[in-house]
Amino acid sequence: MRKKEKVYIKKAQTPKDKALRVLLYLAVIVLVVVILYPYFVMFTSALKSRAEIYAMKGTLLPIEWEWKNFVDVWKLAPLARYFINSIVVSGGATAIAILCGIPAAYALSRMKFKGKKFFLGLVIISQMFAPVVLLVGIYKIMSLFHLTDTLLALIFINAAFNQAFAIWLLRGTFMSISPEMEQAATIDGCNQVQAMTRVLLPVAAPGIVTALIFVFINAWNEYTVALTLISSDILKPLTVGITIFNGYNMIEWQYLFASSLFATIPVVILFICIEKHLVGGLTSGGVKG
Amino acid sequence: MKSAGPYIWLLPSMLLMVIFILFPIFEVFRTSVSKVSKAGIIKGFAGLDNFTKVLKSPVFGLVLKNTLVWTIVVVGLSTLIGFALALVLNNEFKGRKIARAIVVFPWATSLIIQAGVWKFIIDADYGTLNTLFMKLGLISKSVNWTPTPAAYFAWECWVGIFVTIPFVTFCVLSGLQSIDISYYESATVDGAGFWQKLFHITLPLVRSSLTVSTVLNIIYVFNSFPIIWTITKGDPANRTDTLVTYLYKQAFYKGRTGEAAAISVIGFLILCICASVYMVLSLRKEEQDA
Repeated sequence: MRKKEKVYIKKAQTPKDKALRVLLYLAVIVLVVVILYPYFVMFTSALKSRAEIYAMKGTLLPIEWEWKNFVDVWKLAPLARYFINSIVVSGGATAIAILCGIPAAYALSRMKFKGKKFFLGLVIISQMFAPVVLLVGIYKIMSLFHLTDTLLALIFINAAFNQAFAIWLLRGTFMSISPEMEQAATIDGCNQVQAMTRVLLPVAAPGIVTALIFVFINAWNEYTVALTLISSDILKPLTVGITIFNGYNMIEWQYLFASSLFATIPVVILFICIEKHLVGGLTSGGVKG
Repeated sequence: MKSAGPYIWLLPSMLLMVIFILFPIFEVFRTSVSKVSKAGIIKGFAGLDNFTKVLKSPVFGLVLKNTLVWTIVVVGLSTLIGFALALVLNNEFKGRKIARAIVVFPWATSLIIQAGVWKFIIDADYGTLNTLFMKLGLISKSVNWTPTPAAYFAWECWVGIFVTIPFVTFCVLSGLQSIDISYYESATVDGAGFWQKLFHITLPLVRSSLTVSTVLNIIYVFNSFPIIWTITKGDPANRTDTLVTYLYKQAFYKGRTGEAAAISVIGFLILCICASVYMVLSLRKEEQDA
């Protein structure tokens, strides 16, 4: 399917081509510098002392490299606890979203039935409402189940609001795989569930991993619902927990950034791993009716 | 059995969405037409009282205007820049893989963290943007980057653009990679220039990716909460509030649940209109081109 990637500017030959080439590199450099700037600020500020951060005369790089900030944050806040909460919420949400998403995506890509359009419509509608708009209703249903201030509430909300992307990604993957092998397996006496789990899922593994990681990252970075539903400090996930350094009279920027880096680095690495597969899946699974 | 088959496969997913999305949607609509006590308990039907209260409030017009400016500016500029970026990254050059990985950063980082860093960067007293520009010799003394609420709002828009660009870029890139190179080769033989190729080959062929990314971005940006919440909380005096920060304050600070629900419903209606107008327009365009 994938055609050879197109090249605008071929090997530099004429002066005009050379100029374009220089322009291209210039654009890339500007871009990379602008994108990395906030990360540079985060990193260098995490290594400064509070006095240096609030000093009248600012510095680009720390005068004293306070590496111990990265150790201190674990003592100053229950950061380990926040980490565990984030892992539990993201892991749980991912497991539920994918376990519910796989059979749905399978039915949507392999079967013909009435109400398919309706279901896909429901999936799109679920994307029109961000959790923040529905907080009033979400709060109500969680009170009904006695789930306010529990991690389980965050797991369910994240799983539900990521269902659309999980289904789009998985459906896109399944549709790109020919159903012939499954049909052959059915003839050999497999039932549909076996055909799916033994034949389709192993082939679709890269797409499934992409969906897993994508949902995990979304849940990991979620802020608004956690802010509203969780009131106990020990149940906060990282995104809400790190704002502990954002005090009433003074923000402890060095600690805020040190803990932010701990919260950011793992997901950035995960995201880079799936970047290639992600968007193709999103656009193909979502559009084709 | 055969006819029930597909529905059993859909059941878990269906249950999850019905309980945790559809039911809250229903609750929000119900609350919006109900009398609600401060504790959030429904005390009977209120008709459109909550809506008239919201619409009569003197700040609502301002909040609505902010929301539209925020959505249009952020989606418009990030689509433009993201598209240009995709064209750049689609070239072959040394370090292209690294550049693509770096573009992912803002997408993968929590909005709350992104917004926190930018709040620090632009701070008038100790912000690092002043330090950087002074070291580079661009300015000679500290500049107050946020002298007015409008300036704050502009910075919030910038952060919004910054975090939205990667999604557009990757959507467009995936569209670009499916274009057959022979189109460009024959266009070059025919003497077509860069702009002609851009408007007559590239744009029509990536239009569907662009439509997906734009519709999703309209929804996400319209409903985006963490950036404004972190940087200004909508202050001073609602000057930087959008619908979602405004409704959050109504619901959880002021205990006006009914009005908050009415704001949600108004927001949803606006979003529906915008998204469907955009879809209809771009689909019609596609038909014309075909």
